[in-house]
Amino acid sequence: MLVYLPIAEMSVDALLVVGIGLVVGLLSGLFGVGGGFLMTPLLMFIGVPSAVAVATSANQTMGASVSGLIAHWRRGNVDIKMGSVLTAGGLVGSAIGVQLFRLIRQIGQVDLVVAVFYVVVLGIVGGLMVAESARAVLRRRKQVRRRLHEHFWMHGLPLKTRFRQSRLYISVIPPLLIGFGIGLLSAVMGVGGGFVLVPAMIYLLGIPTGVVIGTSLFQVVFVTAAVTVMQAVSTQSVDIILALLLMAGAVAGAQFGAALGSRLRGEETRGLLGLLVLAVAVELAWGLLRRPEQLYTLGPAL
Amino acid sequence: MRRAAIAALLVLTLLPWTRPATAQLLVAELSQREVAVTTGFSGAELLVFGTSAGEAAGPGGDVIVTLRGPNAPVVVRRKVRVAGIWLNGPSERFDAAPSFYAVASTRPVEAILPVEERRRLRIGLASLPLSPRGRIEDPTFRQALLELKQDQRLYEEDAEGVQIAADRLFHARLFLPPAVIPGLYRVEILLVRDGRVMAARDLPLTVVRAGTSAEIWHIAREEPLAYGVAAVFLAAFAGWLGSVLFRR
Repeated sequence: MLVYLPIAEMSVDALLVVGIGLVVGLLSGLFGVGGGFLMTPLLMFIGVPSAVAVATSANQTMGASVSGLIAHWRRGNVDIKMGSVLTAGGLVGSAIGVQLFRLIRQIGQVDLVVAVFYVVVLGIVGGLMVAESARAVLRRRKQVRRRLHEHFWMHGLPLKTRFRQSRLYISVIPPLLIGFGIGLLSAVMGVGGGFVLVPAMIYLLGIPTGVVIGTSLFQVVFVTAAVTVMQAVSTQSVDIILALLLMAGAVAGAQFGAALGSRLRGEETRGLLGLLVLAVAVELAWGLLRRPEQLYTLGPAL
Repeated sequence: MRRAAIAALLVLTLLPWTRPATAQLLVAELSQREVAVTTGFSGAELLVFGTSAGEAAGPGGDVIVTLRGPNAPVVVRRKVRVAGIWLNGPSERFDAAPSFYAVASTRPVEAILPVEERRRLRIGLASLPLSPRGRIEDPTFRQALLELKQDQRLYEEDAEGVQIAADRLFHARLFLPPAVIPGLYRVEILLVRDGRVMAARDLPLTVVRAGTSAEIWHIAREEPLAYGVAAVFLAAFAGWLGSVLFRR
């Protein structure tokens, strides 16, 4: 069944798009991430213009994250204070990111910048995840315990605040900076940033695992909402029909994924996610390095 | 009084021989004068049909049908390799490129009309007046534009696209792909004999956005803030609905 996308100005097979939503939703339910990092490249692969893919993927990620946030909220797993600080940084980052995106689009290098962002960010995060989970698997065998909390330079920063639910007394500067970085990524890559945010919250901030997912979802919902509105205003590339089709698939997929995820061990899941992230990074890097089939591209004059 | 009568008589006698004379040699119509781009739009087929009459009819005549869309500036970019990475390098901007151009004919247009005539009437992809705005005079950009547009079926040349029956009835089918932009399109029908245009007809065709997709497009352009907020609420609602539907 073909559906005409009013903003992308193309017609796509509705079943294919719902299928993409389903697969990404499945993975996001399985790994507890938004899945935007898969969604954007997949949309570009089926021919959706990069600008529309990025903006719409942010919108879709927001819808998927609302589901998760509600579930965690009910269980009281959201540190609102920490979430607000992260969101504040995220809003500034995404505002700058959207302007940056518009600039890149005018120069005509959207494809390149989006791909480079993906390769760098996904390469680093995927590599770290695989290494970490390999270490965790080895540690399980050796039965060596890691120290829970370590002090380093970060803990000497001013503006210390108490985050009761996270049982932390730290400066607001690191979460603000992390939020800022995630906001920037969100605007340029069309991702929620959960796959960067969650490790950063655990390893850099030392937030207990129990509240990490709920709190990161809190930040992701607000930042992707802001990105959606700002992209709609500045680049006019949010396609509501595309977002709805993706969400229809993603919502159902996430449920199967969550059911599947409860059968896997934590470190195994993380290792798998790491491999997936790395695979996407390698594929995109290959796309930059190999000689393109079409040397010429056609674009509207902006 | 007498002068006026003579003038009226003159007009009456001349009338059938002046303007409508060529029109009578060629009668044409479109299957539809409007193409609606709706949510289910997957392209449209346009049927152009008509007949030639009088001295224009008979064996040996050729028919050329062109369909032109509104001009839309495009940029053609060439990928270059910088430090091992392929990125968009030099570009050319074509301000007067038609967004859509299709030509159908009974024979290859090169065989029907001489090159000057084709260039004057802008018949055939080779005769499109595409000149880049940049400083680089590189014909490969123009060639790339033609090829890329043809890949999207936005430019088409069909040398056997017009069928003629009984030496006078003709018809052509032109396809408008989903990527067509809305606006005023022009269908031009030429009747050619011995390299000379015997008669021509010009028919307008409008491509309009209609239904839900039209409204979405308009709101996204004219009320971007409201559109963005609506997209957020819609996503939030979908997310909430999902959490309710699948709650255990």
